[in-house]
Parts: sequence; C-alpha cells; structure tokens
Amino acid sequence: MMLKAFSSDLLKIRGKGLWFLIALGPIGLVAMQALNFGLRYDYLSQRHAGRMWEALLGNMLMFVPIALYLGVTLVSSLLANVEHSTNAWKQLLALPISRGAVFCAKFALCVLLLAVSCCLLAIGTVVLGLSLKFGMDIPFMAILKLSFLPFIAALPALALLLWLSLTVKNQALPVTFGIMSAIVSVYSVNLSEWFPLNWPLFGYTGPRQELFVGAGFLCGAVILLFGAVHFNKKDVN
Amino acid sequence: MNNWVIETKGLSKLYRGRYAVSNLNLKIKKGDIYGFLGPNGAGKTTTIRMLLGLIKPSKGSVHIFGQPLEKERLSILRKVGSLVEYPSYYGHLSAIDNLEAIRRIIDAPSAKIDEVLNIVGLSKDARRPVKGFSLGMKQRLGIASALLGNPELLILDEPTNGLDPSGIQEIRELIKQMPKQHGITVLLSSHLLSEIELTAGTVGIIRHGELVFQDTIERLHRQAHEQGTLSLVVSEPEQAVAVLQEQGLGVSLMNNVILLKHIPDAAIAQAVKRLVERNHAVYRIEEKRQSLEQLFLQIVGEGGRP
Repeated sequence: MMLKAFSSDLLKIRGKGLWFLIALGPIGLVAMQALNFGLRYDYLSQRHAGRMWEALLGNMLMFVPIALYLGVTLVSSLLANVEHSTNAWKQLLALPISRGAVFCAKFALCVLLLAVSCCLLAIGTVVLGLSLKFGMDIPFMAILKLSFLPFIAALPALALLLWLSLTVKNQALPVTFGIMSAIVSVYSVNLSEWFPLNWPLFGYTGPRQELFVGAGFLCGAVILLFGAVHFNKKDVN
Repeated sequence: MNNWVIETKGLSKLYRGRYAVSNLNLKIKKGDIYGFLGPNGAGKTTTIRMLLGLIKPSKGSVHIFGQPLEKERLSILRKVGSLVEYPSYYGHLSAIDNLEAIRRIIDAPSAKIDEVLNIVGLSKDARRPVKGFSLGMKQRLGIASALLGNPELLILDEPTNGLDPSGIQEIRELIKQMPKQHGITVLLSSHLLSEIELTAGTVGIIRHGELVFQDTIERLHRQAHEQGTLSLVVSEPEQAVAVLQEQGLGVSLMNNVILLKHIPDAAIAQAVKRLVERNHAVYRIEEKRQSLEQLFLQIVGEGGRP
C-alpha cells in the first residue's frame, strides 16, 4: 500500500523543483570547495602536503550539517505543499489507503531524494579531488561516510520537520523552524556533543560516531512513528 | 443487514462547544439520487467529511453498504468516489497525470483514465496543465477522479458551486445519468433547492446541523401544495364568510377577498354550491400554491418542522 502512495508521490513532485533542489545542494557544496581550493591551492597544498583528500573532506564537513538541515527543511516543505496548495488532502485521504501509508510514503520519498543528494555529494567530491590532482588513492570509505552518516544522524530532524510540514498548513512555521536549526547547528558545536543538532557532525568525526548515527536512526524512527500516529488521528478540514 | 447504502445513527460533531452536526439520521437507498440540502454553514460539508472518514464523529455511527465505517473504512472507500467542496487537483500536472496519481493508489486499470475523461468531456484538454483550466473544467476533473475507481456510491459536495449556467446544466445531466447508466447511488449536496429539485429522488434538509426533513421529492411537492391557500372573490363577502363558517371551514377575510386553507376538491365544490344557493355571485376562485422555494425557506428559515 505504501508503494502505491510512493509511486503516486513520485509523479506528483514532477515539475515542482524538488529534483533541481536535490542536485543544487551537493553541487553547491562541491563548488564551494572548488572555489576554496582553487583560490588557495598553493597555501593549502603546502599546509596539507600529502593529505589533500583528508583536507578536502575536513573542509567539506564544516558545511555538511547546515546543508543537510536546509535540505531537509526545503524538501519536506515542498513535498507537503504539493498537497496543501490546493487542499488535496481531502481527496487523497478519502481514497482507500491508510493514512499511515500516506505519511510513511512521504517520509520514504524524502529519504530517497536526500539519499540521491548524498550520492551526488560523494560523486562530486571524488570528481573534485581528481580534477584538483589529489592523487589516485581515493579514500572511498571516508567519502561515503561523510556523505551518508551525517544524513542518518539528521533523520530525527527530517521526521520532525516532515510531520510539522504535513500537519501545519502555513509553511512559514516549519520553514522558519528548519532554517533556525540550520543556523543554530553552526554555533552549537560548542555545546554538548549530545545536543541533537550536533549529531550529524559527530556522526562523522569523533571517536564514537556509531553512537550518534545509531541515536539518529532510532530517534528518527520514534518521531516518525509518533508523527504517523498523530497524522492518522487528526481531522482533515 | 438492510438495504440502505448510507445509514447514520445519531451522527454528531462537536466543534468548540457547538454542535456543527447533531443527531443526524440519514437513510439513503440504493440507486437513488439523494439531495442533501441546506443553507451555507448548516453542516453539510461536515457531515460529508464524516461519511468519508476525513473527520471523526463526536457521537453516533455511520454505516455504508451495511458495514461500520470506523472498522471497514478502507474496504468501504474502495467503492466510494467523492468530490468534497472545491475541487482538489495538482495544478502543475495535466489532467491525465492528475488521474494517474489517483489511479496508482486505487489500482484501477489504465484504460479507465480515458474512459472517465470521456464521460466528463475533458478528453480534448487532457494534456494541458490543470492550473489553466476553468473552474467548471476543474470541477469536471474532480468528478472524473471520483469515477475512476468504478464506485457504487458517489458523494458529491456542492459539485455545481461557482459554475456558470451551462456548466451547471452539464454537471446536472452527468449526475442524472449515473444511477441509470452505471447503477451508482449518488449523494449530492447543495444549498440551492433548484439544483436538487431537478435531479434528486429523495431530499434531506439540514438546518443548524439538524435534519428537519427527509422524504421523497414528491412528498415535498405535495407538502407545498397542501400549504397553499384558496382565495375567493364573491359578492357580499361578509355574509359569504358566515355561510362558509357554517360549514365548518376555516376562513378569513382580507380586502374583500376570502382566504381558505387548502381543502379537498369535494369540499370546495360543496362550498361553492352553498354560496350560489344563497345568491352570492362567485367572481373568481384562485389557488395560490406555495412554491417549493417558499416551503424550503420556511423549513430552513423558521425552523418549523412541516
């Protein structure tokens, strides 16, 4: 049943700019580092001689969480808006499909879209490193980890923002909330590593990364469950 | 269980301490077009949302096809097509893609899309983005979506809202042919009596969330007829009133015109005979029928149960 809703959602997001946004995020991140390394190539290559791949990933990491939060916010809000804009909920939810399936299909679609972003980020990083002649000993494992682990640690934010976006018709609220999270996440590094907005960062760095990733996965699942239960009960006006 | 397609018992919805719908007992029989009539804000849309499981009743129960809606929602909805208030559509998609988005969920055969577009007469514009459609076309697309799943019951909430006269006519014809050609039971809501009068077989009138009338359209007509008056213009009206009162008729005199409540034909004949016998000249006898519209306004306005 969820698959049906999922395939219907895939059709509905056509021409809504979601795929463009999905590509824009990772391309933007890679372009920023291209600029960074392009402008300061001599300085950086002296400073990180022999560790250029590592340096690239380190620089990239700074911007992955904020990009993730922005992506999560915009993707969930745009997706919700497909239904909100002409109040299509009353039509969709009067179809013979469980509301839980509708909710989970939207979550799955967000995960898919953002996972595509993550893939593009990994590919972009490799392409950038190679074109900057960092050598052929590409640290594939680290690149994949950088691309995907922070995303898993950010699943609670996705579940929460998607629930908010789907529940509240006025998208100003979830979008403001999401952008605030993105901005705060830059400065919250100094707080406890267990501060939820820090999980994506520490899901890649830090000695106990699997804890943060695991916490993100679990917490995301719990919020998704609560969101689905609430969505199932609420009146559709 | 029984042969009602829709049966509600004591259906109520409480909104912020006020009953938007209260103690509603709808009975809709198979193959009928049921006109659900009431002024704006009377609770029609709230009722329809409850019938579709979009909102939960505060009290009471809904049975559709004899099954409880609360437990069998999905299997019931599989046989129901609906259009609630304004049409819902995805403006950036074409009519075909709009229907495809629904088809993927309800698992209807692909050929059905062309078929329903044909029924509502949108085949020519099927590939245009829906945001460029007129309201009437969007409304027709809404009906096409409702028909996509081969429903046995069609629930249409104000389907002619905002349409021009020719659009209203088209939709009306479309609705009328549903029971005949496809064996579909239709629940049709409207705030316009004229809309219901021309299509429905049974009428339910709702006012302030309460059902104040539920019977066939013929019964409503008869009621309007019975509430009509008879006016008599005769010579020496004062004496004539006395003559009629002798026969036990309720009469009143206004501007030398005698007004009689609706009475059977035989009684009228008898009354005229008496008047002629007493040498009154009978100039004219007129029947003033109450129009359905007046009766409807009386029912929803004053709240008197007819």
